[in-house]
Amino acid sequence: MIDPAGFALAEEVEDLRDAAARFARDVLAPAARDHERAGRWPEAVQAVVGGFGDDLDRCHARVVLLETLAAGDAGGLPAVDRPGPAGGAVEACPDRSLAAAATDAVLLAAGGGEAPERVAWAPGWPPRRRAWVSSGDRLRLVEAAGEPEPVEALAFAASGGVSLDLAAARVLGDWALPVGGGLAVRGRARLWAAAVAVGVGQAAFDATVAYTTERVVFGKPVAHHQANAFDLAALATGIHGARLAVRDAAASFDAGDPAAGFWATEAWAEAIDAAVAMSEAGIQLLGGHGFLVDHLAEKRFREARMLGLLFGGRDAALDDLAGTVLDVPDPWLGA
Amino acid sequence: MTGLDPAGREMLDELRDLGRRYIRPMGLEADRTGDPPPADHELYRRCARQGGLVSRTVGPGEDESGGDGDASLTWRPLRALLIAEESAYWDRGVALSLPGPGLGGAALRSAATPAQRERFLAPFADQTRAHWGAMAMTEPGAGSDVARIRTRARRDGDEWVLTGQKMFCSNGARADWVVVWATVDPDLGRDGHRAFVVEQGTPGFELLRIEHKMGSRGYETASFALDDVRVPPDNLLGGEALYTARRGFKAAMATYNLTRPIHAAQGVGMGRAALDLALDLVRTDFPAQGSRRRRALERLAEMRRKLQVARLMCLHAVWLARQRTDNALEASYAKLYAPPVVYEVVSAALDIFGEAGVVRDNLIEKLYRDVKILDIGEGTQQVQRLVVARHLLGLPRDQ
Repeated sequence: MIDPAGFALAEEVEDLRDAAARFARDVLAPAARDHERAGRWPEAVQAVVGGFGDDLDRCHARVVLLETLAAGDAGGLPAVDRPGPAGGAVEACPDRSLAAAATDAVLLAAGGGEAPERVAWAPGWPPRRRAWVSSGDRLRLVEAAGEPEPVEALAFAASGGVSLDLAAARVLGDWALPVGGGLAVRGRARLWAAAVAVGVGQAAFDATVAYTTERVVFGKPVAHHQANAFDLAALATGIHGARLAVRDAAASFDAGDPAAGFWATEAWAEAIDAAVAMSEAGIQLLGGHGFLVDHLAEKRFREARMLGLLFGGRDAALDDLAGTVLDVPDPWLGA
Repeated sequence: MTGLDPAGREMLDELRDLGRRYIRPMGLEADRTGDPPPADHELYRRCARQGGLVSRTVGPGEDESGGDGDASLTWRPLRALLIAEESAYWDRGVALSLPGPGLGGAALRSAATPAQRERFLAPFADQTRAHWGAMAMTEPGAGSDVARIRTRARRDGDEWVLTGQKMFCSNGARADWVVVWATVDPDLGRDGHRAFVVEQGTPGFELLRIEHKMGSRGYETASFALDDVRVPPDNLLGGEALYTARRGFKAAMATYNLTRPIHAAQGVGMGRAALDLALDLVRTDFPAQGSRRRRALERLAEMRRKLQVARLMCLHAVWLARQRTDNALEASYAKLYAPPVVYEVVSAALDIFGEAGVVRDNLIEKLYRDVKILDIGEGTQQVQRLVVARHLLGLPRDQ
């Protein structure tokens, strides 16, 4: 009861977060545009980021790390973080040897309905042809017949971008998971996106505050006009709430809570809403400057929105939530 | 999220039993008549006998204590949060009417001298009858901007003399004492603030009226006149030293850092009540495959999400307080976030009921009236935005 939602960070997680924050600030953020143009993170950056997460097996620590790195540059995270969003599928797959060999597979998620036959966007490097397909409580591992096709996307250019045609894909495995198992798989993917969204949203807030407390209009800083101050206060509250929800859902996964997928999906919705709202304001409050690529505001605006579209997007999330909302007990008080 | 441990579960069970047997029926009765339950109500006597709403034989033990001093008087932030949420689930008005030092107790714990704590809090150990404390800050001309209070305090020999008017004082008419905030000089702003414990029956301390409200009728909301009320020097909260160190106003604000999350948690409880009503309706009355059900389920999911985030904010703010970490920002986050989303939740539940929700014998109708006050008491949403903006944006105090 003293810390019911994982507010406290273990000392080693705090150390990791601090190191990641320094790296995000000193290395990732200054080079974010270069990475975007290059379509990938340099090998050295990949190595450092990959090293941060090497021995992290707890969701709670992972979301803290993801959030921190994303505040510097989220662009390459989908490519570098493996299995990343597909971690839940790897864990749920009953065929352990197949799962161990499929940590680079992307995740295609549908809520209760049939999954589409195409992964519209997936990280372009390293080359991948396999996909976990999660719909209902069914999990399949498939391999595309043809080569991935390069695509340009709304955001995350530093991860490259390909689409995978699964129409003639070879099915490597097809499993019926226990009841609720599918939502847990999709919830882990959404939790990943939610953690990145919190980082993107926080970075957007910090950058907006830095700019709007410096720039003066009508005799005082932009941020000190009450309409703007009130908006920023509400947006900061939203980011704070999203962060708490994400960490709480992560702690639920770590605790083996059967409703963790539900709460992760809820946290995803909260985080996406907060990040989209903040990143939109991040452009608006910078005025025309926010629309220019001179600032990272427009990049975060695109990233936040795209995070809300991956893994089945809001439709799949709503399918999952609507299908379980009557049955999930109160997480603190029980039934 | 970790669920309650067995001791917490036991406490919750007792709260739920009390909710069904007393709190909800008392709230409905108060709503119907417009009058709060009488001070000698059986529930209040029970609270007095067992030292609180929940008996001391159940729930978390003394190791849960979050404060200092005499354990029987210690404020337990997390325990208080659970009690606030669950009791408000059954009826927030009645929950606010429960015996105890109330907001005045929070002020005492923030600012009082040890002798004052002993003197004014000790009566709450009395098991023979219920006792209340209260706090009076708001005035007809000073609500959110508490720095503008005009109730005057002037020295006359050793004594203080108070003159002015107070309103929106919860449980004020039945309280043994009221912590009254006054100013020695309005031109000094916050530096002029003093707080006094004014005991009931003090000459010149006169009840003007019990307000009639749209909702939350289970507790009394009192207005007072202070007509040359003479207060002994020992009743100056915190003693002179507190104000010499210019900590008077900060002490008042620290009170809110403790109470805002609790206030927000009451909102979570009210939102849960609305959610449960809507969940039950959808389960029983909405066709399994209907589009109306699907729309309702999506709304229910959003309601659950908002309530859970609000609860997390409350828990986080209180958790910080328990770590002895400054929680002013997080307390305001909770108070800023929770009331409007709880209002949204209740309103969404009302939508799910449709026209059936507007009739007086439907609890959702009462909840819709009850819930609005949440966004006003203990600092409006707009005040919270100011507080957050001052913390994060360096917004000057004069804006």
